[in-house]
Amino acid sequence: MMIVKDWCSYCGCCAGVCVRNCIEVKETALVFDENCNECGICVDACPLAALELEE
Amino acid sequence: MIKTDVLVIGAGPAGSTAARFAAKGGAKVILMDKKSEIGSPKRCAEGVSKKTFDILELEADPHWITREIEGVRLVAPDGTDVWLTNDVIELPEAGYILERKVFDKHLAMEAGREGAEIRIKTQAKGLKKEADGSYTVTCECMGEVYDINAKILIGADGPESHVAKWAGLKAITKPKHMESGIQFEMCNAKMERSDVLEFYFGSVAPGGYFWLFPKGDDIVNAGLAIIPEMAEKSAYEYLVDAVNNCYATKDAQPVEINVGGDPVGGLVKEMYNDNIMLCGDAASQVNPLTGGGITSGITGGKYAGQVAAEAIKVGDCSKKFLKKYDKLVREDMGHDMDKYSKACDYLWSLDDDELNNIAHAFQDIEFTTIGTTELVKALIKAQPKAALKLGKLFL
Ligand SMILES: Cc1cc2nc3c(=O)[nH]c(=O)nc-3n(C[C@H](O)[C@H](O)[C@H](O)COP(=O)(O)OP(=O)(O)OC[C@H]3O[C@@H](n4cnc5c(N)ncnc54)[C@H](O)[C@@H]3O)c2cc1C
Ligand code: SF4
Ligand code: SF4
Repeated sequence: MMIVKDWCSYCGCCAGVCVRNCIEVKETALVFDENCNECGICVDACPLAALELEE
Repeated sequence: MIKTDVLVIGAGPAGSTAARFAAKGGAKVILMDKKSEIGSPKRCAEGVSKKTFDILELEADPHWITREIEGVRLVAPDGTDVWLTNDVIELPEAGYILERKVFDKHLAMEAGREGAEIRIKTQAKGLKKEADGSYTVTCECMGEVYDINAKILIGADGPESHVAKWAGLKAITKPKHMESGIQFEMCNAKMERSDVLEFYFGSVAPGGYFWLFPKGDDIVNAGLAIIPEMAEKSAYEYLVDAVNNCYATKDAQPVEINVGGDPVGGLVKEMYNDNIMLCGDAASQVNPLTGGGITSGITGGKYAGQVAAEAIKVGDCSKKFLKKYDKLVREDMGHDMDKYSKACDYLWSLDDDELNNIAHAFQDIEFTTIGTTELVKALIKAQPKAALKLGKLFL
């Protein structure tokens, strides 16, 4: 499960590196689709450390 | 269903320029962006070269130019600096600092004035390829979902670049090529000169640099970009440390925080296919060394718009026809991108001591002109290992 912290600023950097194209960046929301395999690449890419993978 | 000749997704500098030139060439154009306000929030340090306005065929307007830049200051990790300013040497490319919130909006307006229809707060959600080759894009605007069918789709959706992935183009940015960028816009900054760009290299920003781009006497964009693989903490933590340790910004106050990805892997493999073209960050039209993507995105956007209009005119939107776009872009910037990409592989490989040595060696050199050749010669003198990697490229 991906947790999006409320300090996310919807810049889309995470979406850009997701090979599975599963992050939808709305103006003020991030939506992860079911294709996410929890590889964690987007978590590392975030400039604000706003993503966290929870078991 | 709404039908159009050309649909441009994303109204950043690349998309608005593409829409403007496609409309100017006689095509029916729709330009859309998910943002409520085009240009905001900004994700940029706003530095741009003067030649950008020749490409745009626009006069530089004081409404969106905050500062004219007279030079650069390069700072090594131990504080040794190298000044390259217009009063001492002839700089090959001078520039401006923009107010992008105003500039981006202005470029969209120029597209609107040429006849493009603009839809804001409108997000592309997915696309379908039709039997006749055209694309149907599903859009959402304030809860309403509808389709737009276009003979040519231009993906200018920035570093997220969903359009390329939906269309199956080989255009994915690898994590090691996505800079994680972050910046404060600050007041109370104490710059030695408020018309000079400052760049700080080394462990302050692994895989990138820390920059100060002045926007006023005491106003500055203070930011950095890192490659996460090379980093030990988040970009935000690097930025807070850099700002606190830098004389110019330690007492400065932030009025904005800007974040974003910057694709620096060089032009993507597939910038086009039947009925589709990519431009701007979506095609990685970004200088890999500086991370600058405004000028190159506008260049790509202009070519995409022009080629789209021609394709509509002759009624041929095939891959074969659109190849012209790829050729124009690669001829214009392909060679430089390869060169800069190799230069930054080298630069990012240096540790703080090596960078300090280079800066020390530069102290003894009097530059009068600043061709890349002079710079590289000085570099090789200071750091012979550079000769192997850079010599062949630049000399
Ligand atoms: C911190 C930072 C500093 C930078 N500093 C500089 C600099 O000093 N100089 C420079 O030249 N470059 C700089 N860059 C790079 C520069 O900002 C980009 O290269 C430039 O903005 C790219 O323009 P673009 O039009 O391709 O994309 P963007 O400006 O990113 O525009 C893309 C647009 O597409 C929209 N969009 C995305 N997805 C959708 C969708 N599904 N539906 C509808 N709309 C969508 C977005 O809302 C956005 O408005 C910097 C980048 C960063 C991150
Ligand atoms: S990279 Fe971070 S700040 Fe940007 S949209 Fe993704 S989670 Fe939010
Ligand atoms: S964890 Fe991996 S697959 Fe899931 S959204 Fe992030 S990058 Fe994509």
